[in-house]
Amino acid sequence: MKFSYNWIRELVPGLNAEPLELMRLITMKTAECEGLEQVGSDTVIEVDNKSLTHRPDLWGHYGMAREVAAITHGTLRDPVKASLPAGKAPIEINIEDFKLCPRYSALVFENVTVQASPAWMADRLEAVGLNAINNIVDVTNYVMAELAQPMHAFDQDKLHGPVIFVRSARLGEQVAALNDESYNLSPSNLVIADAEGPIALAGVIGGLHSAIGPQTKRIVLESANFQASSVRKTSVALKLRTDASMRFEKSQDPLNTVRGLARAWELLEQVSPGIRLVGGLADSHGELKKPAPIELSVDWLQAKLGRELEAREVLSILESLEFGVEESVPGHFLVTVPSWRATKDISIKDDLLEEIGRMVGYESITPRAPLIEAVVPPGDGSRNYLRHVREMSTAQGFTEVYNYSFVTDEMARAFRMTPEEHVGVTNPIASGQTLLRASLLPAILRNILDNSRYFQSFRLFEIGREIHARGQELPQEIPHFGAAMYQREGDGRESLFELKRLAECLMEGCETSLAEARPFEHPERAAVVAWRGEDVGRLFELHPSVGIGGGVEGRAAILDLDLIKMESLGDRERRYQPWSRFPVSAFDVSVVAGLREPSIQIERRLATAAGSDLVQIQFLREYTGAPLPPDCKSVTYRLTVGAADRTLSSEEVGAVRERVIGAVTKLPD
Amino acid sequence: MVEEQIQKLQAAALARIEDATDKDALEQVRIDVLGRKGSLAQFDVGKLPPEERKIAGRALNAAKQELAAAFETRQHAFAAGALDARLKDEWLDLTLPAPGPRPGSLHPVTIIQNEIEDLFTSLGFAVLDGPEVETEYHNFDALNIPPEHPARDMQDTFWLSNGHLLRTHTSPVQVRGMERLGPPLRMIAPGRVFRNEEVDASHEHTFYQLEGMMIDRNVSVANLIYFMKTLLSAIFHREAVVRLRPGYFPFVEPGFELDIRCLICGGPGCPVCKQSGWVELLPCGLVHPNVLRKSGIDPDEWGGFAFGLGLTRLAMMRYGIDDIRLFASGDLRFLRQFSR
Repeated sequence: MKFSYNWIRELVPGLNAEPLELMRLITMKTAECEGLEQVGSDTVIEVDNKSLTHRPDLWGHYGMAREVAAITHGTLRDPVKASLPAGKAPIEINIEDFKLCPRYSALVFENVTVQASPAWMADRLEAVGLNAINNIVDVTNYVMAELAQPMHAFDQDKLHGPVIFVRSARLGEQVAALNDESYNLSPSNLVIADAEGPIALAGVIGGLHSAIGPQTKRIVLESANFQASSVRKTSVALKLRTDASMRFEKSQDPLNTVRGLARAWELLEQVSPGIRLVGGLADSHGELKKPAPIELSVDWLQAKLGRELEAREVLSILESLEFGVEESVPGHFLVTVPSWRATKDISIKDDLLEEIGRMVGYESITPRAPLIEAVVPPGDGSRNYLRHVREMSTAQGFTEVYNYSFVTDEMARAFRMTPEEHVGVTNPIASGQTLLRASLLPAILRNILDNSRYFQSFRLFEIGREIHARGQELPQEIPHFGAAMYQREGDGRESLFELKRLAECLMEGCETSLAEARPFEHPERAAVVAWRGEDVGRLFELHPSVGIGGGVEGRAAILDLDLIKMESLGDRERRYQPWSRFPVSAFDVSVVAGLREPSIQIERRLATAAGSDLVQIQFLREYTGAPLPPDCKSVTYRLTVGAADRTLSSEEVGAVRERVIGAVTKLPD
Repeated sequence: MVEEQIQKLQAAALARIEDATDKDALEQVRIDVLGRKGSLAQFDVGKLPPEERKIAGRALNAAKQELAAAFETRQHAFAAGALDARLKDEWLDLTLPAPGPRPGSLHPVTIIQNEIEDLFTSLGFAVLDGPEVETEYHNFDALNIPPEHPARDMQDTFWLSNGHLLRTHTSPVQVRGMERLGPPLRMIAPGRVFRNEEVDASHEHTFYQLEGMMIDRNVSVANLIYFMKTLLSAIFHREAVVRLRPGYFPFVEPGFELDIRCLICGGPGCPVCKQSGWVELLPCGLVHPNVLRKSGIDPDEWGGFAFGLGLTRLAMMRYGIDDIRLFASGDLRFLRQFSR
């Protein structure tokens, strides 16, 4: 919203503050100013619209002038001087639902001359960003910019019948609007209509057919009040935001309609010489509710602000903002909210707290530590666990990435997921945002491809949430750990085993078992990672055809783990175990096995055969080549045996050894 | 005679010890001379006449002692020489790079988030978590933003096929925290939030916030300013100067924008603070009674403050990052700069 400095000074005569100082004051006390702009002999102060969301009155200069007067202890001059003559109205107003249109007021004028506005009016409109069109339309905009009351002028000779209807649009109705667009309406749109049909979209835009033109001689000047949410709904549905709709959706003051007409009458007489008012005011409204007074005590204000206050300070601030204040008991007030603040902005004492706080200035409050019980906050185990995982991963050389929560259908399909498994985004504004990710892998693949252009090798990881659709319920959000290692050169072993080592760093004693590869996995290099009897994820090399084949050299391995499972499986109480004080014996066993025999099976067989005396089994080495046949390998393990309560005799150790050797000489092919 | 023979033998042995060129040669001398069948062992002093026995015995003992000492000295010399030679041989080029991976880095937002979490837990705040896909109720209605409220425009929302939405702020975790834990309550909720916006160097559709809330019996604006000053001084490692001015957020009343004295220029004005000396940092306020009521808390008995901190923004300020898109780029040229 743009405010003209000259306009404000006209409404606060004697204002001393220069534009820059005024901007600072408004920012500190009322609303955020974004900048100053010199426009001709005027200075325009730009105020952030967002900071006016709750203030319908500040969408006009008079409202801001009231603030300025209160801040600077100046005098506010009301621009509305005329009072409307009594008399029968020449038109009738028919409001279908006072909830949607609490008030509709109008005046009819004749002997209108449509011409360009005088320079002072056109300049002022242009300064605050409104285009000058003709004197009649400009007056409506001028009143809107001054009093925050949107208005509209109809060419009365183009209206059908003496009745103005305010009603819901009928299914199939259309309106051709002033912006040369035609809108198909539905019953959720409120329209202004004559006997033939819609002549305007209530609170949003006027109709083309009844627009003011050079030939216009008689006008109906509308000054109405519409329900904020209805205007907003129509404006959003039709994607049509106007100066009027922006104001109405902030909940305008129904008492302002008549003031707007009075001000417009005065201006019209200046810009359209010879114009004549026909009859009296047409005004239809529902019950105009008076807000209940609010009880307010100085003690409560002091406690909330954490600052001392004088009762007269409170009184003077509220009165400067035109609140009605009655001090029932010393220090206790009964506060009546002015109509322009009562529509939505202020209804409870907490709202008044803000009025007092901002006007005394928050800088006058001394920071103070609260007196509160010292308590240990409830812990969040997961957060600590995730921190542990992050720290372990970085310690092993992996760098943390953050990826978006979005994937495309195409990315999902590349990882063999159907769009149905995903939650969809209904209003994406960019491609690549159609689905919420149900796997971290698509983004990690992108990380690999991107970084492979700059690095010979790298390690990275992400902790992110997989989002799995559950119908209309909130989806399941499962924190996952995805780690990747890429090497441009080499046979890929190192990456896989480094990731396996990382898994073991995170899950002591976790095991991998060979798994049937998914299509994006290397068919001979995929494994399930299990820990304490439960599958927690997968380790694999990316299939060369998945992205990485397309001009990108090298290999990448990926570890994908379910953090929820990991955390719950890792949650174990630890107790000290004394170790055996008796010496142990060790012996090595080399086993010749088929080349593709998983070593974990050999290890398990050896361990089972060794039985309860086995203290430790340790892989030493693997060997292939002569003199072994080409389809064989030799794996060597060191077995350590012992007992908790004595030293095993050499005969006993020998017996274990015999058992172990016996077990592997009968290995199946 | 015998004595002379012993002395001659001793002299010869000493010469051989001196001449021994290595450990093995020395050992051979020891066996030849001092060994059980060695040359010194041939003297059977016991068979000599008593007057000679005494002299010869003394000479023999002296010879044994002297030779043993000589052996030892020589042996040590060889051992020391061998060690010396081995060590010399073991020259290592310690200027070579060490193998193995270097520690990776945490994401800059993680680093900032961890710091702030630690700070608040030390002040007795719980760290809470909430879903990224939220209900419209928790994201808007419970925060005093009913449907058709113009404040919904402030937060462009991603709507989802299941009828829910991607949370536009971490504030719904306040609501979940109040529902679950009740008053008194001190909590923060860091997390990922989403706005349906076009992306450029200073706008992202995905970014990180940290929500904070304290509910107790007597909480004032003075307490809010205290916590914010404490927080910001700890984050920026220097005394933070802050100011509050009115700001509108439907879930607080009164609502504030908190500005911090520009950390670049310290107040006189510079391009970073747009010559104002202040940088807008975080929205905050006293929790709106409607919000308390919706979460089952009596606003006549309890009150509190809430604030929202932009973690992404803070990371940009801390590290001088000028393009917000880098955070989700996955680009290791960027991310590796934040290791300890």
